[in-house]
Amino acid sequence: MKDKALSLPSESHNNRITFFMNGQQITEELPAGISTLDWLNQTKQMFGTKCSCNEGDCCSCTVVIAKAVDDKVIYEAITSCLYPAAKLHGKHLITIEAMGTPNALHPIQQALLDHHGTQCGYCTPGFVMSMFALFAMHNHPDKEAIFAALEGNLCRCTGYQSILDAALEISRNYCKEDLIPAWCSEVESKLLEKGVPAAMLLLHKDSNRLVSKYLMPETMKLLFDYLQTENSAVVIAGGTDLMVQMNIGRKEFPVLIDITCIEELKRIYLQSDGLHIGACVSYAKMFDSELVHNSCPHLHKLISQIASQQIRNFGTLGGNIANASPVGDTLPLLLALDATLRLQTELEMRQLPIRSFFKGYRQTALQKREIIKEIILPLSPENSYVRTLKSAKRKSVDISAVVSAINLQRSLGYTQNACLAFGGVAATPLVSRVFTGLVNNKPLSSLDAAQIAKAVAAEFKPLSDVRGSALYRNKLIENHVIIYLSELQKEVL
Amino acid sequence: MSKLPYHLAGPLHLCGKSRFIADEPELKGMLYAKFLFSPVAHARIKKLDVSEAENYPGVFKVITANDIPGENMIGHVIKDEPLFPTLEIMFAWQPLAMVLAENERCAELAVKRIKLEYEELPAIYDPEEADARQEWYVPERKIECGDIVTAFDNAPYILEGKTTNSGQEHFYMEGQRAIAIPFEDSRITIHCATQSTMEVQEVVSHVLGIPAHDIVVDVPRLGGAFGGKERAATIWASMAALGAFVCKRPVQVKLSRDEDMHATGKRHPFTSLWKVAYDEQGKLLAYDVQLLANGGAYTDLSVAILERAMFHSDNTYYVPNMLIRGRACRTNLPPNTAFRGFGAPQGIFVIESILDKIAQQLQLDPLALRILNAYQNGNITPYGQEIKECQMASILAKLATNAEYDKLKSEVAEFNHSHTQHKRGLGIVPVKFGISFTTALLNQGSALIWVYIDGSVSVSTGGVEMGQELSTKVAIVVSRVLGISTDKIRVESSNTQRVGNASPTAASTGSDINANAARIAAEKIKENLKEPAAKLLAQQFGHEAEPHEIVFAEGKVFILKNPESAISFNDLVRFAYSERIPLAAYGYYRTPDLWFDREIGQGHPFHYFVYGAALAEVEVDLLLGEHTVTKLFIVHENGASLHEQIDMGQIAGAAIQGYGWCTMEDLVWDTNGHYTSANPSTYKIPGIRDLPEVFKVEIMPSQSLEASVFGSKATGEPPLIYGLAVFFALQAAVQEVNPEAVLSFPATPEAIILAQEHRGN
Repeated sequence: MKDKALSLPSESHNNRITFFMNGQQITEELPAGISTLDWLNQTKQMFGTKCSCNEGDCCSCTVVIAKAVDDKVIYEAITSCLYPAAKLHGKHLITIEAMGTPNALHPIQQALLDHHGTQCGYCTPGFVMSMFALFAMHNHPDKEAIFAALEGNLCRCTGYQSILDAALEISRNYCKEDLIPAWCSEVESKLLEKGVPAAMLLLHKDSNRLVSKYLMPETMKLLFDYLQTENSAVVIAGGTDLMVQMNIGRKEFPVLIDITCIEELKRIYLQSDGLHIGACVSYAKMFDSELVHNSCPHLHKLISQIASQQIRNFGTLGGNIANASPVGDTLPLLLALDATLRLQTELEMRQLPIRSFFKGYRQTALQKREIIKEIILPLSPENSYVRTLKSAKRKSVDISAVVSAINLQRSLGYTQNACLAFGGVAATPLVSRVFTGLVNNKPLSSLDAAQIAKAVAAEFKPLSDVRGSALYRNKLIENHVIIYLSELQKEVL
Repeated sequence: MSKLPYHLAGPLHLCGKSRFIADEPELKGMLYAKFLFSPVAHARIKKLDVSEAENYPGVFKVITANDIPGENMIGHVIKDEPLFPTLEIMFAWQPLAMVLAENERCAELAVKRIKLEYEELPAIYDPEEADARQEWYVPERKIECGDIVTAFDNAPYILEGKTTNSGQEHFYMEGQRAIAIPFEDSRITIHCATQSTMEVQEVVSHVLGIPAHDIVVDVPRLGGAFGGKERAATIWASMAALGAFVCKRPVQVKLSRDEDMHATGKRHPFTSLWKVAYDEQGKLLAYDVQLLANGGAYTDLSVAILERAMFHSDNTYYVPNMLIRGRACRTNLPPNTAFRGFGAPQGIFVIESILDKIAQQLQLDPLALRILNAYQNGNITPYGQEIKECQMASILAKLATNAEYDKLKSEVAEFNHSHTQHKRGLGIVPVKFGISFTTALLNQGSALIWVYIDGSVSVSTGGVEMGQELSTKVAIVVSRVLGISTDKIRVESSNTQRVGNASPTAASTGSDINANAARIAAEKIKENLKEPAAKLLAQQFGHEAEPHEIVFAEGKVFILKNPESAISFNDLVRFAYSERIPLAAYGYYRTPDLWFDREIGQGHPFHYFVYGAALAEVEVDLLLGEHTVTKLFIVHENGASLHEQIDMGQIAGAAIQGYGWCTMEDLVWDTNGHYTSANPSTYKIPGIRDLPEVFKVEIMPSQSLEASVFGSKATGEPPLIYGLAVFFALQAAVQEVNPEAVLSFPATPEAIILAQEHRGN
């Protein structure tokens, strides 16, 4: 049956969105800016999805989104606390309520029961949903893939061994087809019918909500129209930071413009000047992209160390840059690679090296009514050495104390174009001037790693904060340099 | 015996259908609470004006101390904690007033309109500073044995030092919450996430000035607790009750994760000053230790926690001469409280640090040193309890075998010889953990069982289900007594109307006390059923039997010598009802032989001990300070387990929790007494990637005569201490490059990097 609601013109989407929930198509009026979790718990009175931290750090509230990408449907786990419900428009929301019943458990639930993978039960629905997304996309994932899918889901009771054992059992014994319920497959064909119209969610002015208008343009033109008329508008991409500011910081955003429906911003393509990545490309999409894997393997590798699968599924590269956090995980690499930003206003597009983009603590060169459209990563020559290091308290899903990236070329035992950049050492991510001076155009074998490391460390005056003391951060700067240089020198030998 | 059940609530949990308080449809007319939390750690309140907040649209009432009809001062034994302070703020994020509004947003906006004026006072956060000022809740506690003065005078070797451990956030996945619903007259029902229904009832009774029978406390289950809802839950339940009592509307108190982490107490940081004497073989001769507990603003459970730390200062070692002194110090942090282990991990950490140090000094094998000093049967602990079933020799032998200890040691040595940036280390921690509340009166419990006429069974105990699968264990015990499947048994919420005066579900005693009480109740019902059974069997099959010959098994009832001629349990129950036989029973259990005299520091505080040991191997990246737990071996003795997989879950989960405590869980507070890591983006508990690469837990069954229900032993807390093996392994790895390294606690990458250059203690 032709799905009419999804092809309606945008005017009728004022204040309502259309999507599928657990197999059923629904059209809902939504309060602007409400998170999927709040919508489930408060509006729908569905309590299977659990709120434990409300800031994307525990994944108890994981739900699965099925959506059409190109010509196939993908299943993604997301933290519903940080996912604006408006983004459900045109997608399929799958929650724990539909996964199985106590008398007829889904195979994932049965395996968790058999392995005693649930104790207090509070984190359990989140684990079930994360595992569902994993197994709906991959046949027989290995331990590393299971870790990647579950690294964000916290459990304080089991110590994880029983959960891992359950996941390994599913991986051995089941294929995707066995695990995707029929009602999910039925929705897939409807999702593939193209076109999600723009939507606009408004609230009455006297409402006490943090957001009173949430706009979802589908074209650049509409975006700039909105930016023109809405003076106080803030642009939201994935929202993985902005939603925390709302949920925890209780910050008000009168008007939010969500740019993730604009197809132009979600492309990855190769040109002579480098790899172009649209601002709204998610970490997961970059990670899975063959183009990224082949032409920028270090970015691919770095992404696996960023956040959790749930956040990687909707956090964006453009968001990480525009957010301009001094500890943004991708920023040192982009600096070291000398990436260029394509910035767009209604009338013009300009290109700006990312090295000129960060102006101060969370301040950027973005002008009013200007957005980041694309990031251009120059292709690294064959003789390049590119590496990143991220230091944090926990191995995974942690914000760095110090993050660094190095990029240089080796030619006949000499270094060229050496660049080293850091996050977590100042108010903005920074390129080390000292490093370039000491290392560039030098014979690799002559470099005194310890001395250079000390000199680079002396260049920065990091702060002490909850993630680490200044002394520790300085030591990390030093040690990152030593690790890079000794690896380089080992290669020469 | 029939097949053991899985987690009885598991299918509900897995489908998101199990009930958690406040994750359920809204009640009509419900008011939502938001708090004004103190911005400072220590201050005198000059003015608290709530009038503007009270007039804010949507606000029903702002509750302050003035609204309390009964007593404001609450507390466990020492009532030094106000529900709302009126004169003196004692810690940052102390709740000062509660706004009740139609929704949370209104309430939070109104909170901003409360006017607070205060005069800041100097604050103390360090237990040593508090100790120097004699800021103690109670005078120093002491336990001693032998003659330490002479022993130190004659000692060949003496070491002295100071050891500190940091606190730990409980990080139960379900935060603090309560819903209170007014009922007819002044009566009130409270649904709250507490480990202690009796304490909530008692405190609410004090605060509202109404008798306990006007207050019903009901706890369906908790989404994790770990001690953090033993006492700390009471305050939030009392707030909800007060709101509902004053406003005559249902009231919901539900803390956000950040509020919860800021405002609630945690595991106690300890600073311990010690001196130890030993001989050339490494035999311990004398141990003098002073334990300073950082108790926070109010007494809470600090004195009991300190006491348990003192009881575990010997851990598994026989030391003939000991002086153990403990002082619980008042500081301006949120009142620290129970946390799995309850002081024992802190006490054990000190002596284990010392043993590693002695091993290093004498160049002895750390495992051999622990075997040399291990308790043996007949030894007397410093508090006078005889060791009767010591399992340490066989546990440590098994641990060495499982880990292939000698081979492992040489592999580690070889690795360290051939690597510079990476080093490996081994750590060993044995555990002896005393089971029973050290406050003897708490070691009692009750159960109420109804057998309905269709043969289905309802069991209530005072125990609270919080993921430890107490309900499953209680059901197993009742099923074993009545010979019926666990499917036919419902273990109910913990409710003060069904089971009153219930001790907290804590101190690992949940199953010992509550399953024993349920066993006793079930046995009573079984006795009641034997006579009608004999009658029915005679009617149906013509077999005559004495009541003691009747057997209950697999849902059937029969005479031992005629198992084929059986009646079903269901038919028997219906028949018994028609015969007017009581089908309900109350069971009461108290743990035998417990006493302790605090004046002389002597007694028999524990029913029995749980023994075990852990061995960890780690690999450290010296330049990044990061580590991997490459191996973790555990051998854990636990009597005749009621359900090995449940116990395995407790052991594995506790060990990882302990591992988190001593490595990544970094509880930081600033110079103003605010926790700066009070959110999950900066406070990191272990995730799935932190699993040891090799993780082998062996449960060692034992024929213990001291053990509890059906020969089983408690499992909740002891295994947390196994996690400390990782800390000592990390320290050993760092000592490969700096033999004098003293790793600070927790062993974060920062600690590991800085320890490489740190000299001396």
